[in-house]
Amino acid sequence: MTETASPKRRRWAGPLIALLLALVVLLVGLLASSILERRWEHQRPALVLRPLAEWEPDNAKWGENYPHEYESYLRTRDDTTTTLYGGGVPRDYLEDDPRQVILFAGYPFSEEYKQARGHHHAVADVTGTKRTASPATVGTCMTCKSTDVPRLMAKLGVSEFYRTPFHELKKEIRHPIGCQDCHDPASMNLRITRPALREALQAQGKDLDQASHREMRALVCAQCHVEYYFKDKTYLTFPWQQGTAVEQMLATYEGNGHVDFVHPVSRTPILKAQHPDYELWATGIHAYRGVTCADCHMPYRTEGALKFTNHHVQSPLLDIANACGVCHRWSEEELKSRVETIQAKVAALKLKAEDALVAAHFDAGAAAQAGAAEADLDEARRLIRQAQFRWDFISANNGMGFHSPQESMRVLADAVDLAQQARLRCARLLAGKGISSPPRHPDVSTREKAWTVAQAFVRGEPPDLLGVGAAP
Amino acid sequence: MVAAPKNPGGWLSLCLLEWLPFRWRLLAFALAGVAAGLGLWTARMANAASYLSDDPAACINCHVMTDAYASWERGSHGRVAGCNDCHVPHTNPIAMAAFKARDGMRHASMFTLRLEPQVLRLSDGARPVVQENCLRCHGELFVGIRLPGVDERPCWDCHENIHGAARSLSASPHVLRPRLPSAGLGFLD
Repeated sequence: MTETASPKRRRWAGPLIALLLALVVLLVGLLASSILERRWEHQRPALVLRPLAEWEPDNAKWGENYPHEYESYLRTRDDTTTTLYGGGVPRDYLEDDPRQVILFAGYPFSEEYKQARGHHHAVADVTGTKRTASPATVGTCMTCKSTDVPRLMAKLGVSEFYRTPFHELKKEIRHPIGCQDCHDPASMNLRITRPALREALQAQGKDLDQASHREMRALVCAQCHVEYYFKDKTYLTFPWQQGTAVEQMLATYEGNGHVDFVHPVSRTPILKAQHPDYELWATGIHAYRGVTCADCHMPYRTEGALKFTNHHVQSPLLDIANACGVCHRWSEEELKSRVETIQAKVAALKLKAEDALVAAHFDAGAAAQAGAAEADLDEARRLIRQAQFRWDFISANNGMGFHSPQESMRVLADAVDLAQQARLRCARLLAGKGISSPPRHPDVSTREKAWTVAQAFVRGEPPDLLGVGAAP
Repeated sequence: MVAAPKNPGGWLSLCLLEWLPFRWRLLAFALAGVAAGLGLWTARMANAASYLSDDPAACINCHVMTDAYASWERGSHGRVAGCNDCHVPHTNPIAMAAFKARDGMRHASMFTLRLEPQVLRLSDGARPVVQENCLRCHGELFVGIRLPGVDERPCWDCHENIHGAARSLSASPHVLRPRLPSAGLGFLD
């Protein structure tokens, strides 16, 4: 390109300059289009391409109007994510912790109990689990799993929906948990579509329609992530009449005498806790500060100039920057280690409660084998029932106690205390029969061994618990 | 790298590409014209001139600072100090311009390449600048008091809500988010 360049070299100069300038034009053009696109995102109105029908169950149709929300929702398909205690992977609780095979002995949870996958898998998972395999399974089990439910409830009536057999309902149910479970299709306002929550709040004298938007950001989740039971075998009901604290719910259960199953080892009428995430959260610091489910599990995102709610509902530990960093300004590593420290302490106490409960079941079984009076045994069973519900209240919760760490430790400590009280009573009953050596607890250290022991009790051929042997 | 031309046309002749064959000259100039026009248009559309000003609205041209702007505007500093008062050094005009240019280029390139994090934090380079600026106005409160270093305990460790309690690109609700400054392109919107 210099004055002294040979004609041969000069021949290259023209195309080279043209090429460089063309590249400049290209890059400036790309920048310009990027700026234009952002401007458009910032200023564009909400575009509703196609109005939605009142009970539209198909999430993809909603996705046409709300592509960012829908695309993030689709990521709930990811069932490979893990955190220390949670994530989207269907981890096998019974494999990890064989104590639960004994605690749920004779109940389907001792056969299959896995961590729930993301919302997108709800229908596949509820129809795929062994826990719903029985032909007697009621339609109520489908209530929380599909956007087809509100439509069917409107068509059949609520009670009739619950009464319809699960496997009959299955044919009508296609779409997993999604948009219209929480949204009004016309206004996109949050709305409650499941009657159980409305009825539970009514029973407490609360009017759902007076709830603020912030409260709704937790209440839409409370449609399902709560403790519940089937009244009269089918009608989905929350035990909230006296309040949502664990003692208040237990008092409600004691009042109505509800029993989920009778434990084959101790003959205790057991209450199975569901996933009382909402009730536990309500006792914690985040609830006190007005931080709702959506703030941590579906934080806002900004992409380009567009702000939207991330509908990839997941553990906040998988998105610490957005979920926690918005308020807590420490580094992601520091926040993660803080959460995991809290969870590890809950997990340790949870296992202590399980050990005490397993021992209490066997002690009560031993006292029964020694011929203790039923009335005396019932007192021990009452304590075990109270202890196991408290343990399960925390154990069945998602988040290993992080929804309310202090409350979790308090409830678990009560569970340990009650289980040990039950063991004391059993020891006295055995002493009354002249037995001073500790009962022989069978080996339940693996899932297979625990299953064999549990099945022996279910069949009514229990091992001899009174022989001389070392207690744990 | 270019040797001084010997002919009387000199630099001018070199720059006007008179040494090129005519058709290449024509194409090069045509493309240069396109690039210049496109550049001017982009500069106008991006409100580029506003970056030379001290106006806080310049910081929300590229959207990332929308929330920071909304919280600043309604916060304690909204009436007395703008973005540059705190986030750019005021030691001398050269340091000021250099810092502003470097920060601005970094922000613009990160956003254009879509690399922005969802929660913004002060960079290591920005921390002493902001601390210095806190003291520039509030320094008289600390006469006779030893202050810890900025890495030890900056002002905002306690005064943490200058930009509101929550910090994220999405923290402010829709109605509080400022409108995009006009770029004189109403016909496009």
